[in-house]
Amino acid sequence: MNARLLAAATGSWLVLWLPPIRHTLESDMVLHMAVQVPLLIMLGVLVAVVARDREPRWLADADWLGIPGIVAVVLGTSFWMLPRALDQAVSDPWADLIKFLSLPLLVGVPLGLSWRRMPPLGRAFIWANFIPKLGAIGGLYLGAPTRLCAYYRLDQQELAGWTLIAIAVALGMTWFFAAFVGWTPSCAKQSPRRSGGFLIAAVGGN
Amino acid sequence: MTIAATAGRTAINPRAAVLAYLAVSGIVLLLMMLLGLTMRLAQAQWIDVSPDFFYVVMTMHGAGMVGIAGLCSAAVMWHFVRRHVPVSTAVFLTNLVFFLIGAVLILGAGFIGGFGAAWTFLFPLPAHSGGLWSVNAAAAYLVGLIFIGVGFLLLHLDIARGILSVYGGLGAALGVKQAFGLAHGEEGPPPAVTASTMALIANILGILVGAAVLIISLVNLYVPSFTFNALAAKNLIYYFGHTFINVTIYMAVIAVYEILPIYAHRAWKTNWAFYLAWVLSTVFVLTVYTHHLLMDFAMPTWTLVAGQVISWLSGLPVLLVTAFGTLTVVYRSGLRWNPAAALVFLGVAGWAIGVIPAIADGTIAVNSVMHNTQWVPGHFHTYLLLGMVAMVLGFMTYLTNPQSRYGVAWLGYWLYLLGGVVFVLAFLSAGSASVPRRYAVHVAQWLPYDRIGSIGAACAIAGVLILIVRFFVGMRTAASAQDPSG
Amino acid sequence: MTRGFPVLLAFVLSIGIGTLAFETDGFRVVTSAGARQLSIERAPQGVPDAQLVDQDGTPFTLADYKGRPVLIDFIYTRCPTICTALGDDFARLRQLMGGTRAHAAIDLLSISFDPTDNRAALRLYGDRFGAKAPRWRIAAAADQRARAALLHSFGVVVIPDGLGGFIHNDAVYVVDAQGRLARILDSDAPDRLLAAAVQVAAP
Ligand code: HEM
Repeated sequence: MNARLLAAATGSWLVLWLPPIRHTLESDMVLHMAVQVPLLIMLGVLVAVVARDREPRWLADADWLGIPGIVAVVLGTSFWMLPRALDQAVSDPWADLIKFLSLPLLVGVPLGLSWRRMPPLGRAFIWANFIPKLGAIGGLYLGAPTRLCAYYRLDQQELAGWTLIAIAVALGMTWFFAAFVGWTPSCAKQSPRRSGGFLIAAVGGN
Repeated sequence: MTIAATAGRTAINPRAAVLAYLAVSGIVLLLMMLLGLTMRLAQAQWIDVSPDFFYVVMTMHGAGMVGIAGLCSAAVMWHFVRRHVPVSTAVFLTNLVFFLIGAVLILGAGFIGGFGAAWTFLFPLPAHSGGLWSVNAAAAYLVGLIFIGVGFLLLHLDIARGILSVYGGLGAALGVKQAFGLAHGEEGPPPAVTASTMALIANILGILVGAAVLIISLVNLYVPSFTFNALAAKNLIYYFGHTFINVTIYMAVIAVYEILPIYAHRAWKTNWAFYLAWVLSTVFVLTVYTHHLLMDFAMPTWTLVAGQVISWLSGLPVLLVTAFGTLTVVYRSGLRWNPAAALVFLGVAGWAIGVIPAIADGTIAVNSVMHNTQWVPGHFHTYLLLGMVAMVLGFMTYLTNPQSRYGVAWLGYWLYLLGGVVFVLAFLSAGSASVPRRYAVHVAQWLPYDRIGSIGAACAIAGVLILIVRFFVGMRTAASAQDPSG
Repeated sequence: MTRGFPVLLAFVLSIGIGTLAFETDGFRVVTSAGARQLSIERAPQGVPDAQLVDQDGTPFTLADYKGRPVLIDFIYTRCPTICTALGDDFARLRQLMGGTRAHAAIDLLSISFDPTDNRAALRLYGDRFGAKAPRWRIAAAADQRARAALLHSFGVVVIPDGLGGFIHNDAVYVVDAQGRLARILDSDAPDRLLAAAVQVAAP
């Protein structure tokens, strides 16, 4: 079972790397930022879920309250939101390979491992940081007078800005709605360990 | 896990933490009031103050009062909501520490860096100083705001977590079922929980919006080619700022719900109307900010009309149920008045009376005439100084309650009440005589208002001083004491 | 919490912030254009000896300019937007330079990256703005290799705009009297552009 999931993750990674698929996803700013990057992170999360039992003891101990792990996630995602980094990934296959390795391994895996170690307040705080950051970057893309990425057109950039804002608003509303009706997935309440429910559990804010 | 167990786990005494909040608030409140008095005396031409300095004082008075109003009303909320849900004292204190760090950064930006873009940091003003202040001063100011925002965010999230763990959802904690008659006799949440829920919904959303603008402003500061639609930024900033100051009264009002019943020996009765009012005001307070934009003709007409209607209605539901509830609790209860009870009662009255001119101001016809007169500081000083601050002073008196000193507390109460009334009436009547707000130098025919206002303000400050000194004297024993039971 | 915690946190923070600082040149740039601007400003860089042909059919290389600073922009002649604005700016620059002798020492060069731009097209573009070789050349690379070398060394990225045209950098490149790419200027009002160019090119 675990081996199969791992194989599926690796297989999906290779599919995403296939030049036609890779170039299609990178030909458009929205696809690049809102589809390819999240998919790569998800693959890492999947790996973390599968390999969780093999996590070395020292790492689990050192990752107190999930803080170092989540810091890695925040810094890693910030890096790949830089227009310059996106440009390099599009123009240079080596940079793209770094992206393909760092997003799953340095962002996805820490996310999968650390999230369940975080206390509810910490999770809520991360959401409360992520949502405005996404919105702010969207706003900056809209307001930039010129193209930020040499490889993307202005209209793509504008669309990407609106997409980020829309995602931020949607996330914020989902979060609020979930907290309002008190919707917490049962898997999150009992044992986030067994399922991949931590991603959804996060939305419940507790 | 019981609440007692949670409290027992933390090493910090929660009561002492609340008292620390109030001690800081008391001192800052007095200092800011003295700045206010300085402005009035300058306008009255009793002291000589250069116009430049007047505006520095005005910025500091505005920003300081808004910040400290948030801090002391959060203390009221936390103290009472803690009786019903588990919350963390460590987070509560973290907020205080972050607030102080933020305040130091902001003061540094103002006095050392010379940053003077007013507390609303109107985009893109921070970056356009005309050489008056450096990029770093503006950054220190914005980072200071981020500290304060993060502190309040943590505090509100922690209370939300506590509420969710007991009530399951924010809707249940707000009493939505009871509001719409779907509860089938099920008892609703305590008023403190309902009010806290409304406050945290509004503040968390407000802070998220504010954070986005702050990030954009910071990036704009260092990479100026990144710009942002100035009108959109202004809207977002007002949303954040106006929500924040609006919510202070909803946090402070918890003192009324909790303190009056104790002295009246009568429970605060909640019914469907009470919950419905809070639900409605929650919705309204989230949209009320538009009324700040009534002067913006760039906004589409429908938003102006909607803003007018909403601002007219926003606080009203909660105000009505609170005023009505207050009267039913007090009426023929045999309540023996003491300064604490009198102060929270005054708070409700000040709030109610302050809202009347606010409603007048919210209607467009009056708005274009009145909006830039002293009518505006008149109405918000009524419900902040005689409403919100009165509730907090009542709470402070209630926590440090030795009966032997009621005599001096009564003196403080009357000085504060009479002085405060004279002070706000001076603003309101000056406003109806079209005296503009935010003028450093006043012409001769405005001076009578300014002078009467100054006398009132001095009186009020003397009263507040007495109440706060009394608080400090009682503080030592209060940390280990229990809340009074009547 | 274990003793490993501060170590791990410090490790993650230093690697993460270090990488971010590296990618943004010490938190000063976020775009690749900005990064290039900064690196050129710090260390001017040689330009390739690529063969070009101007609107009169005269072949030349960038090395021929040695001793005279030159302002370069990149265009394609069918371009309806940016290149027209750039052309106007350059024309205005020439007017401004006309007055003083010091300024007249700066040459202008517009390089087309569009392989379909033939001599007639270059000439037409030049005539629209009153460009006269050799003070203001409208030129194209002599062959594919030369074009690639030029675009690469100036850091110009050209992508299709989806409507049959191109999207490309609209910066103005200053090659100084020593024949080095010395500064990349954001396109700006001509008078400010000139002031900046003079400062770099003829100090
Ligand atoms: C005795 C106490 C106080 C005095 C003497 C005082 C005095 C003043 C004066 C003279 C002004 C300027 C009015 C003008 O525009 O001409 C002002 C503005 C203001 N006051 Fe007060 N005030 C007092 C208490 C408070 C309190 C308790 C709060 C809030 C909790 C507050 C919040 C403000 C704000 C937000 C402004 C607007 C500043 C601006 O226009 O930018 N004040 N006050």
